[in-house]
Amino acid sequence: MKALGFAWRSLVRQPARAALGILGVAAVGALLFDMLLLSEGLVTSMRDLLDRTGYDIRVTATEALPGRGPRVTGASGTADALGALPQVRSAIAIRLADARLEGDGGVPLQVGFQGVAGGPGRPWTVLRGRDVQRPGEVVINEGIAGQRGLGPGDRMIFRPACDAESDAPPAVTLEIAGVAEFPFEAVNEGIAAGMLETIDTACGTGGRDEADLILVASTGDTDAAAAAAAALRPDLHAVTNSEVIERFSESGFTYFRQISAVLSAVTITFALLLITVLLTVSVNQRLGEIAALRALGLSQRRVVANVFCESALIVGAGGLLSLPLGILLAVWLDRILKSMPGLPAEMHFFVFQADALVLQVALLATTAVLAALYPMRIVARLPIAETLRNEVVS
Amino acid sequence: MNGPPSSLIVRAIGVSRQFAMPAGPVTAVRDVTLEIGAGEHAAIRGPSGCGKSTLLHMLGCVDSPTAGTLLFDGQDVSSLSDAARSRLRLRQIGFVFQRFFLLPMLTAAENVELPQAEAGAARDDRTRRTRDLLEFVGLGARSDHRPSQLSGGEMQRVAIARALANRPRLLLADEPTGELDQSTGEQIAALLDRVNADGTALVIVTHDGVLADRARRVLMMKDGRIERESTR
Repeated sequence: MKALGFAWRSLVRQPARAALGILGVAAVGALLFDMLLLSEGLVTSMRDLLDRTGYDIRVTATEALPGRGPRVTGASGTADALGALPQVRSAIAIRLADARLEGDGGVPLQVGFQGVAGGPGRPWTVLRGRDVQRPGEVVINEGIAGQRGLGPGDRMIFRPACDAESDAPPAVTLEIAGVAEFPFEAVNEGIAAGMLETIDTACGTGGRDEADLILVASTGDTDAAAAAAAALRPDLHAVTNSEVIERFSESGFTYFRQISAVLSAVTITFALLLITVLLTVSVNQRLGEIAALRALGLSQRRVVANVFCESALIVGAGGLLSLPLGILLAVWLDRILKSMPGLPAEMHFFVFQADALVLQVALLATTAVLAALYPMRIVARLPIAETLRNEVVS
Repeated sequence: MNGPPSSLIVRAIGVSRQFAMPAGPVTAVRDVTLEIGAGEHAAIRGPSGCGKSTLLHMLGCVDSPTAGTLLFDGQDVSSLSDAARSRLRLRQIGFVFQRFFLLPMLTAAENVELPQAEAGAARDDRTRRTRDLLEFVGLGARSDHRPSQLSGGEMQRVAIARALANRPRLLLADEPTGELDQSTGEQIAALLDRVNADGTALVIVTHDGVLADRARRVLMMKDGRIERESTR
């Protein structure tokens, strides 16, 4: 009988105990898996969202987040100049504003408003209808389309809130060219977008040619494109997606990583104690039997290997079970966390990563080894004659 | 070291075994000199605590004397590593215990196969040998039964079959009838006689006078010493 088979038979002679051990490891493993997914999930999700726009460099006037700092002046010209660089495939200037969508006697809807200049390409994907082709046209997202029952060919009345310091501009009527998807749109958030002239006209700032940021798509060498953009407009800040992620990782996402590290350590420790206790109890109940096997000639290595295999089986079976459990738990927790307001609908806290799976396997394998150390020591140092004598006396 | 005659299996020369206890050292076996030859049938008797089992454990190489020399096939056992001792026990010595110590999760056949597998016997050889042994102990029809489905006597028969699995030259039995009723004990004793008749040297530790009287050589122990020896 092979060592694993023998260990399995040893384990299942106490089916309840084996089941408890495996389920315990499965529960702990699921939590561990989720913590590992959480530690890098937001970063991975954010990177995915940034990459999904198709632009790998962001040019802003300051290091502040777009919409929270001074705007880029000469936005259209800058976008065109950037787009003409040999390292750049396309560049678009985006101006952001808030707006109120007037309803037919109903409650106004607060929405985000984007104006875009330059190209080719747009930071949205048209789902129905067509893209904007001239000033006065907009695309809307499903948030507006669903809440207001609007679609391509309809008109809507917008009242933009462009600058805190400026007077409220009059309402404008815009034609809906299509329904589009925006990478960073939050659940139930309304977004409308058109040409930069459209937002300028609506805000009454025509001729200023300002943008909150310029998105740049490199031809391949992101760093070279960023350097070229910085050289073209030294007064602006060109930041690559990787640098954006790096900044987030150093600040906002650190909490998740710390929480994840602490909880991972706690869960692993719990698994370690659980298996050690189970195996130690199991071994202590079988000392006479083990001593008899040694007397019959089974080697020390063989009986020690048996204990190790039992640990490996508990952790292996529990670890396998932990994956589907962990995925289910991650989906559930992700849904809860994503219900926080203002988060992009496509942002996820738990993102599957092969690295997390490899780390999970490595941590569980280490746990199996460490958990087996003490019971293996008991078996390895078992005095055969004394144990046999004690068994008879007891 | 001079090798003993080929018929000599184990030779104890002035062996003693002392245990460290909280109240002070206790000597379980004192200066015992003993030889067990091939095919011999010996019984060790004596009151509880006189050192019978300790002596048996030393003869079976599961315990080491604290003084004296123990030679197995002429080789000083104290010079052997733990792995070498395990190999020696696996191939040369069989053990039968008072409490059987069968593995409850294995069938009778699997229990008998286990030492053979450990010794590296081929699957076909193991199967054949196991079948023969279970037939020999009268349990050919119970090979697929687990220990929990067997009576005490049947479990001890399986234990004897397991002890014989690798054709040992020496079979050591520690109170083999201690947990059995008189009738079952007699059956086990008869089975052990057959084992010995087949050429395996047999050393039995027992309180049971009837079982001891079946041996050709009886060693009476007292206070760790062999007080007297009788031969039939």
